[in-house]
Amino acid sequence: MSRFASPDEYGLADLLCCAAAREVQDNEVVFAGTGLPMVAIMLAQKTHAPNLKLIFEAGTLDGRPPELPTSVGDARCEMGASRASGLYDAFSIAQRGYVDLGFLGGAEVDQYGNVNTTCIGDYLSPELRLTGSGGNPDINSFAKRTVFIMVHERRRFVEKVSYITSPGWQVKQWPGGETVHRRELYGAAYRGGPSAIISTLGVFRFDEEDGHMYLDTFHPGTTPEKIQEQCQFELDTSRVQGETAVPTYEELQLIHDVLDPDEIFIPKAAK
Amino acid sequence: MAEKKILVEDYSHAEMMFRFAAAAAGAPYAVTQTSLGTDIHNPEYDMLGKAGLRDGKRIAKSKYIFTEDPFFDAGQQIMVPAVKVDVALLCVQQVGEEGTVRVNGQYYSDPEAARAADITIAVAEEIVPEEFLRRNADQNTIPSFEVDYIVECPYGAHPTGMFGRYDVDGPFLKKFYSETRTQEGFDAFAKEWIHDLDQTSYLEKLGWPRMLKLRANSAMNYCPRERKGGK
Repeated sequence: MSRFASPDEYGLADLLCCAAAREVQDNEVVFAGTGLPMVAIMLAQKTHAPNLKLIFEAGTLDGRPPELPTSVGDARCEMGASRASGLYDAFSIAQRGYVDLGFLGGAEVDQYGNVNTTCIGDYLSPELRLTGSGGNPDINSFAKRTVFIMVHERRRFVEKVSYITSPGWQVKQWPGGETVHRRELYGAAYRGGPSAIISTLGVFRFDEEDGHMYLDTFHPGTTPEKIQEQCQFELDTSRVQGETAVPTYEELQLIHDVLDPDEIFIPKAAK
Repeated sequence: MAEKKILVEDYSHAEMMFRFAAAAAGAPYAVTQTSLGTDIHNPEYDMLGKAGLRDGKRIAKSKYIFTEDPFFDAGQQIMVPAVKVDVALLCVQQVGEEGTVRVNGQYYSDPEAARAADITIAVAEEIVPEEFLRRNADQNTIPSFEVDYIVECPYGAHPTGMFGRYDVDGPFLKKFYSETRTQEGFDAFAKEWIHDLDQTSYLEKLGWPRMLKLRANSAMNYCPRERKGGK
């Protein structure tokens, strides 16, 4: 019997969660936001990365949550932690360069991995005001790698985001607004940038030199052509490796019986 | 009543924390490299500047200033101004009669905000004898003289949670977010849950069964999920 589940045995959220977990390497310091990333990180902790160090923005340093937190402010975050402190410590630690990997979300992304969580439309009279930056640009500025988990729609994968909340590979140099590689702006603080976008259609990565997004793997049930139709910019599909690896039975059992039995973030696949 | 507007100025969380920390240390600004290259630093998006409110008194003359590291050649830096905080309102577990605050668990931005503010109000689950907190000063978070007013307000953080006391009320928050997307929706919510309700009537309205489901186990500091009757 294969260790991989068949298509009717897992849902899209399972696939995204497992893809995200596979971005984590053992012994890494990982900075996590609320939602699906929490399940993904705890899944990695219970499989291939038992020694990862988990940081939550509100002040948890090396947390070992006994059960899934519902937000970064949940009391579960700091249980078993090395230290409970505050936002000043969490962000100082990021700026100091301790963070290997950050997990974040976004409403819009462009071909250079610039992410918007601030507004849709003109900033000065927006069609829709979103949650704002939060810690998104901070984690993304300082982590060696950042992984974004996003819903994939054509209106979200855009030529130009309404507002650059979080810096991608080609960013703006103010006051003029010229486009420059982030390496030129960050100087000594340059450690990397967005390393993957895990969308509901595929996994995308970036060429670190020219900053362009390319398709790495596509999820079962779609094709690179269909994914291109859901991007407003021209997507580089020349480096596609094939289909995204599907969840294993072990991963599904951990997600649904151990980590998120109440389906807080990951619904069970319809039987 | 004349219509009043709230102006929103976008900074990142780390920029805000460093701004609070500068104010808490009595320094005019902090220096950081966060958020370089983003629209947070788009000069067209300086909302307080556009409104002509940057007087250099309570509100800094600039939203930020770029500079180069003069000491170690680490490249471009951003100076962000200290926040002149009028009032800080903290929601904490315990406060002593003289104002000493003890926060359990993550303390967010409480210590910096309390020190930065001109007026600090500590809203606590319980007011405890000052002497009790002073027996273990190493466990205290904020010194007495930084706090100007103390208020006892049990379940004061609801519908958010309080470490060691009660969990986040997820369904309540969900209801709040979905019902308050319009002004009319917010007005209706405020009429039902805010106006003319004191803390006791608010808790009566929530009801004991709901509060018991949120109550943290004192050994675990949260409410274990099986107690909530999860699926």
